[in-house]
Amino acid sequence: MLSLSIATRFLRSSLGQTALITAGIGVGIAVVVFVGSLITSLQADLIDTTVGSRPHITLLPEGDGTLSADLAEAALDEPEVTTAIPVRKLSVIFAEGDASSALSVTGGTQSDLNSVYDLDEAIVEGVYSLDDGEILVGTVFADRTGIAVGQTVPFLLPGGSTGEYTVAGTFDLGSAAANDRLAFLNADSARTALGLSQDEYSAIEIQVDDVFASSEVADRVETDGVTVVDWQDENEDLLSGLTAQSGSSLLIQAFVLVAVALGIASTLAISAVQKTRQIGILKAMGMTDRAAGRIFLFQAAILGVAGVIVGIALGYFLIWGFSFAPVEFSVAPSPTLIAASAAIGIIVALLSAIIPSRSTSRLDPIEVIQNG
Amino acid sequence: MGDLMVADRLEKIYGEGTAATLALSSVSFTFGQGEFASLIGQSGSGKSTLLNLLGLLDTPTSGTVSIDGTDTSNLSRKELAHLRGESLGFVFQFHHLLPEFSVFENMTMPIRINGGTVREEQRERVNELLELLGLTGLADKNANQLSGGQKQRVAIGRALIKRPPIILADEPTGNLDTANASAVYELFREINREQGTGLLIVTHDRSVAEMTDRILEMRDGELIQDVRNDYA
Repeated sequence: MLSLSIATRFLRSSLGQTALITAGIGVGIAVVVFVGSLITSLQADLIDTTVGSRPHITLLPEGDGTLSADLAEAALDEPEVTTAIPVRKLSVIFAEGDASSALSVTGGTQSDLNSVYDLDEAIVEGVYSLDDGEILVGTVFADRTGIAVGQTVPFLLPGGSTGEYTVAGTFDLGSAAANDRLAFLNADSARTALGLSQDEYSAIEIQVDDVFASSEVADRVETDGVTVVDWQDENEDLLSGLTAQSGSSLLIQAFVLVAVALGIASTLAISAVQKTRQIGILKAMGMTDRAAGRIFLFQAAILGVAGVIVGIALGYFLIWGFSFAPVEFSVAPSPTLIAASAAIGIIVALLSAIIPSRSTSRLDPIEVIQNG
Repeated sequence: MGDLMVADRLEKIYGEGTAATLALSSVSFTFGQGEFASLIGQSGSGKSTLLNLLGLLDTPTSGTVSIDGTDTSNLSRKELAHLRGESLGFVFQFHHLLPEFSVFENMTMPIRINGGTVREEQRERVNELLELLGLTGLADKNANQLSGGQKQRVAIGRALIKRPPIILADEPTGNLDTANASAVYELFREINREQGTGLLIVTHDRSVAEMTDRILEMRDGELIQDVRNDYA
């Protein structure tokens, strides 16, 4: 195709200009890829820390009732639900001298609890074991109270009685509050402490594959006599913070793309002026307006593709460079984001070519011939 | 000789109202196949304006140009571009070569513009023309590496490549020295004789015009003389 071959030749004839604008597009796309990946990874890490090892939806009985394990089975029928476990929750008090501290205890089977809380990986000291009479407490609680693994400790139970449990291990769930206030018991120990029968539970804890789909799933699993607690309702501040962060990152990316578009447009406009004589003579020889206009669209497409390739490579380089930064999360390039940046980069390049392409297609050969 | 190009009462006015300038006033003439004619006149007499109208590079205020029986007044820009590509060859005062391309590429550009690929016989044609133009061995040189005279000869080769029935040349030797200029005219004569290509050459130089078979003279936008020149 002649327009493409002329476009290539025009770009090659001003190599310096071509290299500069390709680098410009490349830097722009690299910023889009890097900032996008950084924010996505940062937010994914924040979300994972907040709710990755927590229930996303909790079903609670209304009033003083209890729930059946069947509700967990029913919840698992929802396609988004990955885990649904029946648990027994109770508050216990650890008293030592005049000081006392409350613990929110979740009782369940070892494997069930692990499927939501990833406890076997969270154990810092001791082992992940929940045999009868064993308890797991957080690292902060253990440090604060001076309780050590293997020690048997008395707790004040809801009915006023006292239960003695042996600390099998301490865990770190990634949050100081959780490490201070949460504890885990064997399902039967919790049942006995609460005075419940075999199929009586105090909550169903659910995890879904996409944490942001929790509200939708929550609506579906809601039944009579059940109160649904959605993590999104309980973390509104975090979510609005993340939304604001995403918004500002999008704004930065958009402005970078606008700068890229202006760069390409001005380069092509200059090129259109520089090549007016050539375009005029091509038209005098019979080139149609559309074919002449296509020359600049092809130039833009070539610059766009080259710039995007440079940009993605540079973006990966920045992400690699960031891996040496002293932060606790790593930035992973997202294929979707990169594909989107590439597509947007090329579209922006093509849009930038509209004005030079139109002015070229309107150029009358006589203007060039008359002016020499 | 059939009429290849007919100009019928061509008028061209630039500007509007009180600023209007009459550049061409009711010019009519016919141009037959294989003619070798010149169009002379002082600077500002309207000869280049007329050539641009005949070359379909500009549109008349009134009157018509017909090429090979086709009235061009109502053709779209695309159809005009196509007709220009098929029927006309141009040689300008400035060579207007594309500096990004080689001599061969410049010469075959009209073929590619009209959607064709350069075939073997056209390659041979390029070689023939290069020989005819005294440019043998320069096919792969970049257009920018040639001298002024060589560039103008490449421009002539480019105009000839598709064997158009008419070549319009506007002061084709205006930028050349005397030796190069007469070489170009001899070349035109040879092309006209051997290939039957019609040539209409605009010049302000009467001695150049006298080398052609027909002399059309313009003054103040009017065609004042159209004579055969049997002394050429």
